[in-house]
Amino acid sequence: MASPNAIDPVSVEAGAVERPRATAADRGRSTFLAYFARKLIAALVSFAVTLIIGFVLFSIMPADPVSTLTRGRPTSPAQLAHLRQTLGIDQPVWHRFLTFVGHTLTGNLGYSWQYQQSVSGLIGSRIGPTLLLMGSSTVISVVLGLWLGAHSGWRPGSILDRVSSGVSLTLWSVPTFWLGIILLVLFSVGFGPIPAIFPAGGMSTPDYNGSTIGYVLNVTQHLVLPCLTLVLVVFAQYVTIMRSSIIDELGSPYLLTARAKGLRDEMVRRKHAVPNALLPSVTVIFLQLGGLVAGAITVETVYSWPGLGYLTFQALRIPDLPLLEGTFIVFSASIIVMNLLADMLYRVLDPRVRAQ
Amino acid sequence: MTSVRNRSLPRSIRRGLAAAAALGLVAVVGLIGVGSTAASAASETTLTVAAPSEISTFNPFLSYFDSELYILNSIYPALTIGDAKNIPEPYLATKWSTSTDKLTWTFTIRSGLKWSDGKPITAADVAWTYNLVMKNATAATANGSLLTNFAKVTAPNATTLVITTKTPQANMLYTSIPVVPQHVWESKVSNLKNFKNMQFPVVGYGPWQLVGYKTDQYATLKANKDFFMGAPKYDRLVEQVFKNSDASVAALKSGQLEQDAEITATQFKALKNAKNITTYQQEPTGWTGIEINPGAITRSGKSIGTGNPILKDAKVRTAIAWAIDRKTLVTKVLDGLGQTGAGYLPSGYPQWAWQPSASQAINYDPAKANQILDDAGYKKGSDGIRTDPKTHKKLTFRLGTHSDTTSDSQIASYLEGWLKPIGISLDVQPMSFTQLNANLLKGDWDILMDAWKTGADPTYLLSIQTCGVLPKDDGTGANTDAFYCDKSYDADYKKQTQQFDQGERATTIRDMQSKLYDANVDIMLYYADGLSAIRTDKVATYMYGKANSGGIFPHQNLFYNWRTATPAATKSSSHTGVYLGIGIPVVAIIAAVGVVGLRRRSTAADRE
Repeated sequence: MASPNAIDPVSVEAGAVERPRATAADRGRSTFLAYFARKLIAALVSFAVTLIIGFVLFSIMPADPVSTLTRGRPTSPAQLAHLRQTLGIDQPVWHRFLTFVGHTLTGNLGYSWQYQQSVSGLIGSRIGPTLLLMGSSTVISVVLGLWLGAHSGWRPGSILDRVSSGVSLTLWSVPTFWLGIILLVLFSVGFGPIPAIFPAGGMSTPDYNGSTIGYVLNVTQHLVLPCLTLVLVVFAQYVTIMRSSIIDELGSPYLLTARAKGLRDEMVRRKHAVPNALLPSVTVIFLQLGGLVAGAITVETVYSWPGLGYLTFQALRIPDLPLLEGTFIVFSASIIVMNLLADMLYRVLDPRVRAQ
Repeated sequence: MTSVRNRSLPRSIRRGLAAAAALGLVAVVGLIGVGSTAASAASETTLTVAAPSEISTFNPFLSYFDSELYILNSIYPALTIGDAKNIPEPYLATKWSTSTDKLTWTFTIRSGLKWSDGKPITAADVAWTYNLVMKNATAATANGSLLTNFAKVTAPNATTLVITTKTPQANMLYTSIPVVPQHVWESKVSNLKNFKNMQFPVVGYGPWQLVGYKTDQYATLKANKDFFMGAPKYDRLVEQVFKNSDASVAALKSGQLEQDAEITATQFKALKNAKNITTYQQEPTGWTGIEINPGAITRSGKSIGTGNPILKDAKVRTAIAWAIDRKTLVTKVLDGLGQTGAGYLPSGYPQWAWQPSASQAINYDPAKANQILDDAGYKKGSDGIRTDPKTHKKLTFRLGTHSDTTSDSQIASYLEGWLKPIGISLDVQPMSFTQLNANLLKGDWDILMDAWKTGADPTYLLSIQTCGVLPKDDGTGANTDAFYCDKSYDADYKKQTQQFDQGERATTIRDMQSKLYDANVDIMLYYADGLSAIRTDKVATYMYGKANSGGIFPHQNLFYNWRTATPAATKSSSHTGVYLGIGIPVVAIIAAVGVVGLRRRSTAADRE
């Protein structure tokens, strides 16, 4: 093992060695910072543009939230007018836009017309269940998808390849809502000799008063069907990308080298082919992570999961513009932040990006 | 060598096995816990019902959603409450009297009742609540319209409440609102708009006390064993939120729920032969109909909107009424679970319901419809569509339907099919509720789908057919249902507000319905029965009243259902499903951890 000084045998003084190394590190850091700054500015611009488009779209929707809220209830025109004034619905669009921008900048997301409470509070109380559902389903679908994709791509045309590609693409084509209802009917009602195994909705048994471990298992039991629905629909994209990436790597010389070293075929795949093939998957995984909070609208509605997806569905129904705008900000921000992270991580994983 | 390798397993494998062992232990402990919880739950009875809507607040001054209103009715008292026939009976008020000028009502408040925190319930609490709603615009959000005719509410002593009205008010006993404890709510008034009333247990009085709520999941209520009308038979009540009706029906089938009060006709049929489930029909409390624009005008009589002027001709509207086969709609759209439409007020409130006599009734008769139009001079063209003799325009009308209501599109198809043979074509235009409502109030419509549900007091539903709720000339103040305006109807409307004898009032209200029927501006198509399903293996009695010969029960009041529901004799239920439901995911996780550990072990020798 050579000592650090051996790198530059001409230099005698330690300082003479240190200075150029520090400069190289600085250069690397400043390059990274410049790259990060560029990406950050691009992300902020995307966020601003997205918010403006979102506001415009929500504002041009034909809507009278007060009449929807009071639909079928005895209300006088005076009551409706008072409600419009209280909720700020009668304010001009430019005023609402300035309020919206102000809310976004300060993090105070306004006041829901429908729930008559702060949007931040509403989102805060529902983001946990959404993260639990989407987090668990993403982890499972990533692991399952990448594993199947790697094995399928390694032996294209094999039985495993044909079965996994066929099954995953079929499930990907199935509407999430429909699949959810089918699984719900099968497993929460039972069929034939199979009893009802999983609950039909909710996140825990009402009024559960058992131990903490029991509660965790109770939530797990409620989580299975919504999580399974999401996994079945989503994992195909990981299978597809991983499969094609592995196929691209099949003829690479470094795999020949690995085989020449006497490694078993499985080790060649796991240790050499998969790490290289993983790169394109990273982007997809992060895009999926960005859509975490937004992706569960239908599943949360089918399984009565108390998360952000259902909150958005409710907001659209009225439409409750402050709540809709609030959830829109959260969804947009999460996707943009995850894209930014993917860009950063890609640079770490792939030396070619660093070299550009 | 082998024995040495076995003794020193790689760290990752050891970790994997340890994790698997820990998970296994957790599963065993958890399953035991679940089993014991199920066993302990047997000693306390819980009635779990499906919430018909979302829940956002328990503040009775702001509450709009049905799920909240059902709970609020059970945790706060009111002066009166609808009895089994939905006619007001004493609750907080034990008796009442009215002054000779009919402007002053004196109520005697029940003594000896206490709020759940032990403080006495007095007339002062009632007066304070009513005055808050009358004077504070935020407090008036939910129930303000019920008290607009109130001039003054006072409590001269603990058991006397005096209400003075601006004009005689015959529906006074129907206007009871939830009464809250003054000593709790006084401090909430300054921030009433933001107060959700979610500090549990909620101080109140009623058959139940609200003791908990989990956001978007369920509300828990505890029985008030001292309730003066009789304690609930169950110890606890859970109102669980289901975000789609298929899920709540699945929960009913699996025993997760005991009652679902709002199922569809398809679900009703599917549950008809389900094990341990009984389905019930109730008298309807709402109607579905069409409204025909009779010529939209403002209060001053100025014409507005783009309504087709041909529909001003009562003969055209009458012909349309004769061309509609209401029986087929009940059979096809409601699966037979409803009644054909006629009177404006549904049979769920028999004290007001009205049906036309045989000579007045308009039934399906396309020949008669054709005859009416022929006689009126509307000649059919070569395409079969009639033409107005004056304007030479075809009888083609827009039909606005609610895009979010499936039955609207079904009905529209039938209407198209029935009106074409009488020479009328329809241009069906599905639109959002908001858009349809906006078009309605501007008069920009020809024919619209319409539906209403009503409570026991029909005053509001009757009021939206009066001339006084037409829009002003500036377009504001509109609350009309279909631009119907008839001075004699208005006179009847005013008369019934002052008829304190409820029998006389009912006669006037029936006369009003007769006038509406003849005008054919609002044509009632059908009344859908209320459909519900109960787990009869778990709930012994739930429904009250007697079913009629068609098996239809009177319209039910959840205040009574929840209080009088009786648990069925307990049977030892199987927990196989629960154990499987928890066991399967845990075993899957253990298996995954184990597989990873074993794979790492099997490839340990190959590592570079």
